[in-house]
Amino acid sequence: MTKLNRRDFIRSAGLTFGSVFFFPSCLKQTSAYRFFSPEEALCIIAVSEQIIPKDESPGATDAGVIHYIDRQLSGIFYYDQETYRNGIKNLQANSMKKHSKLFEALPFDEQTQLLLKLEANQLNETEWPQGKPSDFFNLVRGHTMQGFYGSPIHGGNKNFMSFEMLKIDYPLVIGQNRYRS
Amino acid sequence: MANKHVNAIVVGAGAGGGIVAKELATNGITVVLFERGDWPNYDEHPNDELISQRTEVLGSPFGPDHIKNPRVVTYKGGGKQIVTPIRGGYNNNAACVGSGTVSYGAMAWRFMAEDFKLKTVYGSVEGSTMDDWPVTYEELEPYYEKAEWEIGVSGDDTQNPFAPPRKKKQPMPPFEYNQEAKVLYEASKKLGMHPFPIPMLRNSIPYNNRAGCIRNRTCCGFACPVDAKNGTQNTVIPIAIQSGNCELRTGSKVVEIMIDDHGKATGVKYFDQNDKPQIQTADLVVVSGAAIETARLLLNSKSKLFPNGAGNNSDWVGRNLQGHAYTGAYGLFDYDILDFSGPGATVAWCDFNHHNPGIIGGGLLANEFNRLPYLYTNIRPPESARWGKEHKEFQRSMYHRTAQVVGPIQELPMFDSRVTVDPEVKDFWGIPVASMSGERHHLDHEHCKFLSAKAEAILKEAGAYQTWQSVGGQGGPSGGQHQSGTARMGNDKQTSVVNKYGQVHEIDNLFVADGSVMVNGGGFNPALTIMALGFYIGGHIAQNFSGTKFK
Repeated sequence: MTKLNRRDFIRSAGLTFGSVFFFPSCLKQTSAYRFFSPEEALCIIAVSEQIIPKDESPGATDAGVIHYIDRQLSGIFYYDQETYRNGIKNLQANSMKKHSKLFEALPFDEQTQLLLKLEANQLNETEWPQGKPSDFFNLVRGHTMQGFYGSPIHGGNKNFMSFEMLKIDYPLVIGQNRYRS
Repeated sequence: MANKHVNAIVVGAGAGGGIVAKELATNGITVVLFERGDWPNYDEHPNDELISQRTEVLGSPFGPDHIKNPRVVTYKGGGKQIVTPIRGGYNNNAACVGSGTVSYGAMAWRFMAEDFKLKTVYGSVEGSTMDDWPVTYEELEPYYEKAEWEIGVSGDDTQNPFAPPRKKKQPMPPFEYNQEAKVLYEASKKLGMHPFPIPMLRNSIPYNNRAGCIRNRTCCGFACPVDAKNGTQNTVIPIAIQSGNCELRTGSKVVEIMIDDHGKATGVKYFDQNDKPQIQTADLVVVSGAAIETARLLLNSKSKLFPNGAGNNSDWVGRNLQGHAYTGAYGLFDYDILDFSGPGATVAWCDFNHHNPGIIGGGLLANEFNRLPYLYTNIRPPESARWGKEHKEFQRSMYHRTAQVVGPIQELPMFDSRVTVDPEVKDFWGIPVASMSGERHHLDHEHCKFLSAKAEAILKEAGAYQTWQSVGGQGGPSGGQHQSGTARMGNDKQTSVVNKYGQVHEIDNLFVADGSVMVNGGGFNPALTIMALGFYIGGHIAQNFSGTKFK
């Protein structure tokens, strides 16, 4: 019997069963997201970081809120897909028009100012053609809160970050405190 | 193969139906207990706020399926909207064995004697169908006692001077006050109020061969990991099954009560767990689907003598849909007032149930169940930041420092607050769905203002450096987990659906045993009252079955 080292084994296994040959889609560059394009994700990451910014505790970006939103939009929140697509498009258009930059490239305070306008519906129908800007903003706000403060099993709140910030024991049974190292 | 004929069918294994099934089965009456959901499971969603009955953001751990079971809601001035359990306005309770009693907060209130005779105490109220019940507190008292001992209640009513009279004490000692409750207790005493420990359908000590409560932080909205919360799923339903006379059929969706040309119920049509249409015949049928689904089932059961639905010849089925507007106040403290020991709510006041000048009914106050992190993101003083640095800072620094006193107001029944069946929208099985519409009575909001002011006064006296009220009672339709009223009990068949024994007027072998029969919702969480009604109606059927079989 021939002895195979690990490298040889993997090579021959690849030749025999290799998914790369039978499933060409595996060769394509994969995105980290299910619903968002990488560009859209950058925009929503910036919006959610505005909603829960990093300070002495982690913010929405650190907690992976984008993955919560992305996962739910490709599942149970499918009916919100259009609001997100249009909202991102409109937000970027407004950002480009006023500042000649994409939203995520704006300084933090300018991002805040623009979102305050969305929240207060201070953009007219030409500036925001589909739906109301506050509908989009409130949707992202709610989803960001859920992703940050909800259970990590849904994609956000990485490593129970928000539970640690709130000083609540996980798994929430008195006498147990598993998240602290 | 046809299903074997049985004595009784009970539709819905919740607070009412589970108890009726046990009362019948242990008295030698053969029963098929239908439940559209399955047995509940703690392990699927432990401590998951987003899939809890508290938020239902990503689904409902105890059912129903959010895609297969739409409903319709019509808001005032707006068009109709299709809603699901994860979208607002659905008024979900639960769909599993035990139903709401699996995940409820488990407060174990007896209604007061006044709650059964609102019209006698307060007179008629313009615009409301408020009335007396055909049963009195005294008649129901033995059944409250049965509910307390057979399901299991911790409490000490002797500390509540407003408690209605009782013959036997509650079977388990009350829960101790948590830190928030201790502070509020002292403050309210100074105000001349009468705080006492909340009676709970939860084991303060081991009871009924199950464990005592471990003070789990997430309790209300969740199943108990040590099974210390008492519902029908871990008490009466197992007893019914063990009797050998009760078959529990889970995953079975009852869609119609069959009524023959003589106006007698002959059984039900249902879809089994493989979604195959089936028929089950019986001598009598008991409907216990909770106010919205019970009304829907009666309305979908059309027959020659009842062309508008079973028991609906006077157009009262589905009317008077009500629930509870919650109202109260928040207070911010400069120290960690919450200790987060579960379930959180431990102290209550009944000073504001009845006999307050200008207030019809009123409601209890209690400190609130533990706030969960996502729900807390919407708890802020007026004019506070809704997002951003300030919002996060508040979340971090005040999460342990926010006390809440809150309670359910007695809503005034409204004839036009109602459940109908939608002519177009159908569920997964092709059955017309429940449609809800109507408004609350304008006085509900006024009553809420009264109760919220009292809540705020307690928090101020307790030393809160900032307080604010959250006042409920506007809009509608009401319903929610405390839904009731849609198959009202009464002596006059022109103004009610069932008689004082839950028997549908003109259909002697068709009964309703759940919150639907309640004439009003009280200023209390309704679970124990629904259970008492289950024992009362179930007991009546069991006692009288051997004679005529209600035929």
